Amino acid sequence: MSEPATLSLAEARVRRERRELSATELLQSCRQRIERWQPRLNAFVSTEVRFAGTDRGALAGIPLAHKDMFYRAGRVSNCGSKIRKGWVAPLTAAVLERLDAAGAADIGTLNMAEFAYGPTGHNEHWGDCCNPWKPECITGGSSSGSGAAVAARLVFGALGSDTGGSVRVPAAACGVTGLKTTWGRVSRHGAMPLSHSLDTIGPLARSAEDCALIFQAIAGHDVRDPLTSRAPVEVDLGRRALKVAVSSGWIERNAHPEVAAAVLAAARFFNAREVVPPEFELLSAHCLTVMQAEASAQHAQWMRSCSQDYSSAVRVRLEAGYAIPAAQYLEVLRLRTMWLERFTATTLAQADLYLCPAVPVPIPTREETGPRGGPEMPKRLAEVTRLTRWVNYLGVPALVVPCGFDRRGLPIGLQLVARPFAEGALLAAGHRFQQETDWHRRAPPEFGDAA
Amino acid sequence: MKPLTSETIEALAAAQGVPLAPGRAERLAPGVNALNVADPLRDKLPFDIDPTSYVLARERGK
Repeated sequence: MSEPATLSLAEARVRRERRELSATELLQSCRQRIERWQPRLNAFVSTEVRFAGTDRGALAGIPLAHKDMFYRAGRVSNCGSKIRKGWVAPLTAAVLERLDAAGAADIGTLNMAEFAYGPTGHNEHWGDCCNPWKPECITGGSSSGSGAAVAARLVFGALGSDTGGSVRVPAAACGVTGLKTTWGRVSRHGAMPLSHSLDTIGPLARSAEDCALIFQAIAGHDVRDPLTSRAPVEVDLGRRALKVAVSSGWIERNAHPEVAAAVLAAARFFNAREVVPPEFELLSAHCLTVMQAEASAQHAQWMRSCSQDYSSAVRVRLEAGYAIPAAQYLEVLRLRTMWLERFTATTLAQADLYLCPAVPVPIPTREETGPRGGPEMPKRLAEVTRLTRWVNYLGVPALVVPCGFDRRGLPIGLQLVARPFAEGALLAAGHRFQQETDWHRRAPPEFGDAA
Repeated sequence: MKPLTSETIEALAAAQGVPLAPGRAERLAPGVNALNVADPLRDKLPFDIDPTSYVLARERGK
């Protein structure tokens, strides 16, 4: 019999419903794999199981684990930091409550970038998380453990947060599927804040179908997060006739040739029509203005009292935020309305989705993007998030699915971007792509089904 | 807008209770100033739009 943990979430759910697999068997299989692979990957921070043992709910008995920033009352939430090391949360995050209600098993907390403020997966306090495809390469961040644990088949799915690409970059780097939700789609109550105008929460799993199951469990209005919308949560994976737009010339000129070839092949699959590219660089700069100003305000108290306890990389990012004039920050937030209207009225005028790479370059190594990366390091870091931050500034949803591999065997991620609250369209398009391709089914060498 | 000098960056951080290490402001200046980009929509921004207008735009953009 195959290892149950290597099934997709949707497959495991069907096997549970048919009584072919028990919750205990799923849990044991995941725990065995965690024990085996944790020393190699450093994906988990803790492995304490919280499971009510219910047979009811859309995710009944499915083992999940989440980035170490979603609070659970009485449990430690370190947020990838030294400052919050050992901090016990006084309340439970809305998303964890909803997953509990759906019957999911919570089997631990996952490694992450310090305070979710880094795009690579480096962490000098808790150790770097390693990419299952190639340990010397980055997992992407900040949801590093989420990407690695799902790719290595240690869990069936995981929650991450995405402020500038933190779900999508790990999804792309680890070869899994990741959904960045619309800003205001999923409650952030009980989740560690970074930048309140940009923060979103979304799932990473092994397929769009799996992400849809988690997304439907966590999305929707929550009175404790007054910015959540009352828009209905609708997902129809059978939806067809979705129109896709692409800017092939921009991709050919700006993406690495191997990335461009894989992404443009996907564009042909969707019969995408050409449009003028969005203002990626400008919108990314606006995203950074908002992120740095808000993150620095969020961390002001600790920056005044214990700045030595931040890693130097995070401290430098936070220091930069104190130099952003308030008027500049607020004008960029005022401009956000106009840029969203322009995106929906021009880029998506004749299309439902916009297609581009998730990361326009091959996944770099940890050394290239870490403290010893040399003078090229800032440039390499900027390349990693070049095509994700603009989406956060607009606040729209995006889905990343694997669409190929580079010659080193590292995954290449395709990004689809939609109108606000059109997660259903994204998941349907991703599902259709994954029904016709098998990129998402490929496991990293050594991490497949040992049976 | 004129670029911020490293002295200004150092003074802004210090005024908010965050003293910068020697040489840090020089290192921060290029990144901080790179965020102050020319935006073609800035001159067309209606007076009555404020940051909360975005929530309505999000609902309209569905």
